[in-house]
Amino acid sequence: MRSRVLIPLLIFFTLAAASQDNSGLALKLPLKSKSVRFAVIGDSGTGDNAQFEVAREMDAYRQVVGFSFVIMLGDNIYGGDHPSDFVRKFEQPYKPLLDAGVKFYASLGNHDSPNESQYKLFNMGGDRYYSFKKNDVAFFVLDSTYMSPQQLTWLEDQLQKANSAWKICYFHHPLYSDAKFHGPDLDLRSVLAPLFKKYGVNVVFSGHEHVYERLKPQDGIYYFVLGNSGQLRYHNLRPSGQIQNGFDGDRGFMLVEVDGDELYFQTISRTGLTIDSGVLSRQAKPTTAEQSPK
Amino acid sequence: MTSLNRLTAAAWVVVAGSLLPAQNAPQQDKPANQVSVNQDSLTIQDFGKRVDEYVKLRKRAQAALPTPKPGSSAADIKQYQASLAQNIRAERLQAKPGDVFSAPVSQLFRKLIATPFQSNDGGRIRASLRHAEPVRGLTLEVNQAYPQTSALQSTPATLLSDLPKLPPELEYRIVGRELILLDTTPNLIVDLLPDALPKSPDGR
Repeated sequence: MRSRVLIPLLIFFTLAAASQDNSGLALKLPLKSKSVRFAVIGDSGTGDNAQFEVAREMDAYRQVVGFSFVIMLGDNIYGGDHPSDFVRKFEQPYKPLLDAGVKFYASLGNHDSPNESQYKLFNMGGDRYYSFKKNDVAFFVLDSTYMSPQQLTWLEDQLQKANSAWKICYFHHPLYSDAKFHGPDLDLRSVLAPLFKKYGVNVVFSGHEHVYERLKPQDGIYYFVLGNSGQLRYHNLRPSGQIQNGFDGDRGFMLVEVDGDELYFQTISRTGLTIDSGVLSRQAKPTTAEQSPK
Repeated sequence: MTSLNRLTAAAWVVVAGSLLPAQNAPQQDKPANQVSVNQDSLTIQDFGKRVDEYVKLRKRAQAALPTPKPGSSAADIKQYQASLAQNIRAERLQAKPGDVFSAPVSQLFRKLIATPFQSNDGGRIRASLRHAEPVRGLTLEVNQAYPQTSALQSTPATLLSDLPKLPPELEYRIVGRELILLDTTPNLIVDLLPDALPKSPDGR
């Protein structure tokens, strides 16, 4: 009898602790042991107050979530590549995260110098496109301003060889977007989307549009746009049927937790408001027949 | 098959045809398109030689500099970029438009670029260019830096697949209707090709 009362109470308090800890942050991630946790920022490198405020909110969440790395969706340093730009638009805003040992993995945007690939704190290894792995999650980082045939060949080879449960691609220009300013890059979509489908990419993150968007799955693939971690294009969304959730009222960032076959996400504004959250299930891998050339 | 691939394949057909024994060779004049393809193939070879010459010059310019390593500081990256640019400029004091994009190369590139624009891909390429934050109104000069504060317009993948492959040091970039050959590390304009992109239907 006592256990019938105690166990539900224990579950209740455990869940309550997970969703609202002492910090007062409204956490939507389960924080499972051995999960892969990371943050996402895009179009961040302005060096203005808003970027610093987003960074402070990220650090508050880091202290609870314990994410160990951040993926950057491009436009990391706006307006020049003088050493002082790197300090003011990256090293200073994210100092608390860098001091805590958080690693940043950058992709290049149209405002970035290709020489950023050499910059130590962007962890690109001198390459404009590269891949890395965290447990059972493989990341493929692309340079979407210059999608050369060599890069496409490299991507196909990497995707084909990857045997991780999750394949996540990120790059600057979105293949799908309902934002008014740029819209989707159709030519890029024509070369990338077939590869993503063929090799079972699960999730794609892009920036460029200074808003947040979660698209309806396209060919079964989850697409996010997050280009408002420093920049903002206020009220720029023109939602169509392809958008599931969007936000164009403030800056923000994302938290992601991958555990087994589930990917949990939470999108948070500069002021700490949870804009969007949810859980995505890992899609079935494409069959060999789907991968073979027609 | 891209137009460049088609060109290469056709060039091979022409070369293979010329290797046939004389008694098997057709006793008629070469069709005009074969002559054109052969000429185009030679023009691409010439472009390749000009690019190779630039790369050799660039290697001389960087020989005295310490090799940059991944994981450099922002100051080291900037210093290397500036030094390399300075050395290349010094080696190319007489550089002028057309050194790489010679008249025949320019003519061929305009043709290669026009082909996908006129195909079914044309609308998609134009839309992609419009959506990629078009860069216009820049005054660019050979052997000078691409403006640091200006965005880089993405070069559509479909277009890149139709142009001759470049060594990793160089890339094709679009500014308005101009095509520039950019050396990325020193951020230097190697050459530029005006009116490379066909005018859009609205005349821009």
